[in-house]
Amino acid sequence: MIQSINPEAGATNDFDDKNVKLAEKVKKDIQSLDEIYDVAVIAGKEDTLVAYKVKHMKRFGMKRIEKEINKKLEKNYPGENFIVSSDFKIFIEAVELRERMKDPAYSEKKAEKQLQRIISLKKEMT
Amino acid sequence: MGDKKKQKLTPEQQQYQQLEQKHELKRPVVKNCIKAFLVGGTICLIGQAITYFYIYFFNFTEQTAGNPTVATMIFISMLLTGFGIYDHIGQFAGAGSAVPVTGFGNSVISAAIEHRTEGFVLGVGGNMFKLAGTVILFGVFSAFIVALVKTLLTMMGVL
Repeated sequence: MIQSINPEAGATNDFDDKNVKLAEKVKKDIQSLDEIYDVAVIAGKEDTLVAYKVKHMKRFGMKRIEKEINKKLEKNYPGENFIVSSDFKIFIEAVELRERMKDPAYSEKKAEKQLQRIISLKKEMT
Repeated sequence: MGDKKKQKLTPEQQQYQQLEQKHELKRPVVKNCIKAFLVGGTICLIGQAITYFYIYFFNFTEQTAGNPTVATMIFISMLLTGFGIYDHIGQFAGAGSAVPVTGFGNSVISAAIEHRTEGFVLGVGGNMFKLAGTVILFGVFSAFIVALVKTLLTMMGVL
């Protein structure tokens, strides 16, 4: 919760060079923000998931930070579809998915499905 | 007591009141506040721990974990009330144990236990929500009003 895990950025398809590079670049971009201390990025086929942790005392401005990140991503990567979340559950799920993706037996299809599940988790409200 | 009321009293009564004020024990406000702060904070700490339990082991996000957490906290306080433990906590901490949602569970069960002798329907059923009923009524009503305002503002395009 408090300590920084600093997971590697990754794409659901490891051979898709464009997506892997995109994820790494986005991670570096978001990490440069002062208020944030841990970022997990997973690039899928169409959507890119960005999960981050906000420093404790900066949590008062969570909405502003989310807006800032959205703006920054839209400006720097036009045409890409980003799902941005500061939710802790999304973060741990993203880290878990990244760990699983390291296993060569874990297929791209499965990873993509899991990514979509995480995104649907973000969208549900109650 | 207001000055107007004091004037109506006879001299003897006024004298008595002065005497009473001299001997009356002062309420330990600061001490009570500290107790309430510590116990209320401990209850919230337990709630936070339960929230993280739901996030880690179930499919709840930070946003949605609040509902099962509240339900669990109320359930725990209901059990503690039934066993007679919550009474001691309430005696010690005062508002610190009444203000968090656990106070809600306590008010339901303690009223149910109190009126148990009057029968299940008119006693328990009729008195269970004596105190909690107002909370539910005004909670639902104010939520309705806020939702109405929000809907209207969204329809007008302000939000």
